[in-house]
Amino acid sequence: MRKILAVIKREYLQIVRTKGFIIGTVLGPVAMAALIFIPMLIAMASGGEKKTVGVIDTTGEIFADLDQKLDYKMSDGSRRYTLSQVAPGSDIAAQRNGLSRKVLAKKLSAYIFIPADILTGGAAEYAALNVSDFDEVKRLNEALNAVVIEKRLKKEGLDPAKVAQYTRRVGLKTIKVTERGEQEDVGGTFVIAYVLVLILYMTLFFYGSIIMRGVIEEKSSRVVEVVLSSLRPFELMAGKILGIAAVGLTQYAIWALFGMAASRYGGMLAAGAVPGASGFKMATIPPYIFVYFVVFFILGYFLYSVLFATIGSMVNSEKEAQQLLFPISMLLVVPMLMMMLVLKSPSGSTSVVLSLIPFFAPILMLMRICVLLPPFSQIAASIGILILTIILLIWVAAKIYRVGILMYGKRPNIGEIVKWIRYK
Amino acid sequence: MNALEIENVSKRFGDFCAVRNLSFRIPRGTIYGLLGPNGAGKTTTIRMVMNILIPDDGGIKVLDRRMDEAMKAHVGYLPEDRGLYPKMKVGEMMLFLAEIKGMTKVKAKPAIDRWLERLDLGEWRGKKVEALSKGMQQKIQFIVTVLHEQDLIILDEPFAGLDPLNVKLIKDIMLEFKDKGKTIIFSTHRMEQVEMICDNICLLNKARMVLEGSLQEIKKRYGKNTVVLDYEGDGGFVKDLPEVVKVDDYGRSMEIKLRDKADPQSLLRSLVGRVRVHRFEIQEPSLNAIFIDNVGVDHEKDTSGH
Repeated sequence: MRKILAVIKREYLQIVRTKGFIIGTVLGPVAMAALIFIPMLIAMASGGEKKTVGVIDTTGEIFADLDQKLDYKMSDGSRRYTLSQVAPGSDIAAQRNGLSRKVLAKKLSAYIFIPADILTGGAAEYAALNVSDFDEVKRLNEALNAVVIEKRLKKEGLDPAKVAQYTRRVGLKTIKVTERGEQEDVGGTFVIAYVLVLILYMTLFFYGSIIMRGVIEEKSSRVVEVVLSSLRPFELMAGKILGIAAVGLTQYAIWALFGMAASRYGGMLAAGAVPGASGFKMATIPPYIFVYFVVFFILGYFLYSVLFATIGSMVNSEKEAQQLLFPISMLLVVPMLMMMLVLKSPSGSTSVVLSLIPFFAPILMLMRICVLLPPFSQIAASIGILILTIILLIWVAAKIYRVGILMYGKRPNIGEIVKWIRYK
Repeated sequence: MNALEIENVSKRFGDFCAVRNLSFRIPRGTIYGLLGPNGAGKTTTIRMVMNILIPDDGGIKVLDRRMDEAMKAHVGYLPEDRGLYPKMKVGEMMLFLAEIKGMTKVKAKPAIDRWLERLDLGEWRGKKVEALSKGMQQKIQFIVTVLHEQDLIILDEPFAGLDPLNVKLIKDIMLEFKDKGKTIIFSTHRMEQVEMICDNICLLNKARMVLEGSLQEIKKRYGKNTVVLDYEGDGGFVKDLPEVVKVDDYGRSMEIKLRDKADPQSLLRSLVGRVRVHRFEIQEPSLNAIFIDNVGVDHEKDTSGH
């Protein structure tokens, strides 16, 4: 046991100390958070810019209301938009030309032209150096829109407040029916399932490849026989797989901490940056999903890492391994392709059968659990089948591994591998 | 008391028989040469001794105990196919290899330091293995093998890739171990090295043992039927002389095997006048000649059989 521990320690430290791991684990979420929060912070910071906007109101009745509507405050309480009315002259074109020059000379931030027919369908014009600030254009547009609609309604003798009340949008809440009662779904089910399954898929592949590379490295550096003069091939394989599993769990733990921090403080940050974001509901994930996620990660990891380790033992180089990797990649890709089918009908017989096939189970059963909790008997059956498959696979793989790691030269064919399994 | 007892051991891989009915014993405190051409079954034999491979038949006793997984810790093994972890630091890697051999950290650390100093590698402890020259890596490999100073040490081509100074250094350590009563199994293709340091040898060819015993006795068995000749001139005629069975010609020197009861003096008479003789010495055959004799004959038999 002490020998296996030494191998676990070596594998763990070898990976955890690499730049790749540190970057992937720590900087990954930091970069992701940065991608989300930096634009928010920039938006918040750029909110400090005061704007003076010229308005040519040819109707003469919009300006006052618009000025009142565009009441965005700066952090110090002063107005953000200062509107300056330009009385329409006889030569509108020349007047607009003049305003354009003022914008170019940065004496004005922008100007708005309101045509005489705006109440009957004409479009206003917004002219500025930068017209790609969507938020700003949207703010101006909304304010103008509200003012114009109010005017139109009043002209027809309607009460704008009442009309707003009558035309309020109808909401459609989605309710997820579960055995624990009805739960309001905030649109997270699909996203959660997708994200979890994607994480599972990527990490199974990623850690499997690390194990395979490790085995190939031990073979090609010829250190393996030195190691085998101290311990059993099985101990080496087990130590490797457990060591890398520890790496994976470390990475998950760090990500989980990031995730918790993000959901705790991210909401506050978002609320500070975007008014109205405080009402945004974080999707709540039932804890049992996490439990199953960890269970299926561990089982899937053992299943696939044994396969990857075996392939590593059979080849001489990573290049050679690529061909053998193809069938394994298929085993991982097929359930990803079946995902949509399972999503649409999670308890259909096809989904049930697929999620019981051991090589698909980690991904598809987890998917089903996320979308619509299947009967426990089915989950237990898939876990049971997985465990049996893993035991069987380890038994066969250990026999191939112990011969393969000492074989150099030609890649073995199926017949030779069957022979290896029969060696005493 | 024997350091190693191999009794009727056989190992097959599918239809291929790598070792057939092998038996020999190695007395404690000796250096034993395990010899044979490539593919003779040496590595398979050593791997079975190390419990890396399990024999199909027969038994192996190491240090008077049946070989099993726990006994691995009592045997040091430097394989021919050897290597180190290139990305690890020298000190950490040595500690890892010591730990899986069952050594505790407390015992391993001072031993590693002592050996690194002795082989002049102290300053490399914190460097990555891949930064070391091939010769240095060889020395690290040797240290890792003997770190525990086990009672049985197996060295497969320990001098490969070393300069003469380091060869002497390692050879002296081997002899020092022998003086301390340790047993060394030494496998190599360099017969002159075997002649210098081995007490007993075993010669394998095509999965079978063809010679075994004390080096001195084996040589005596062959008798003084060999002439070593240092010469100048065209020596091509020598192999056709009636006294001669076989010649190993090296250009300026040749090893001549005489026919049974042939008189060396008549050979000398035939030589004088045709080549300049610098040295003419009657002696036992070299191990090299014995090796070629045994393995070569077998090879010929084998090809004629096909």
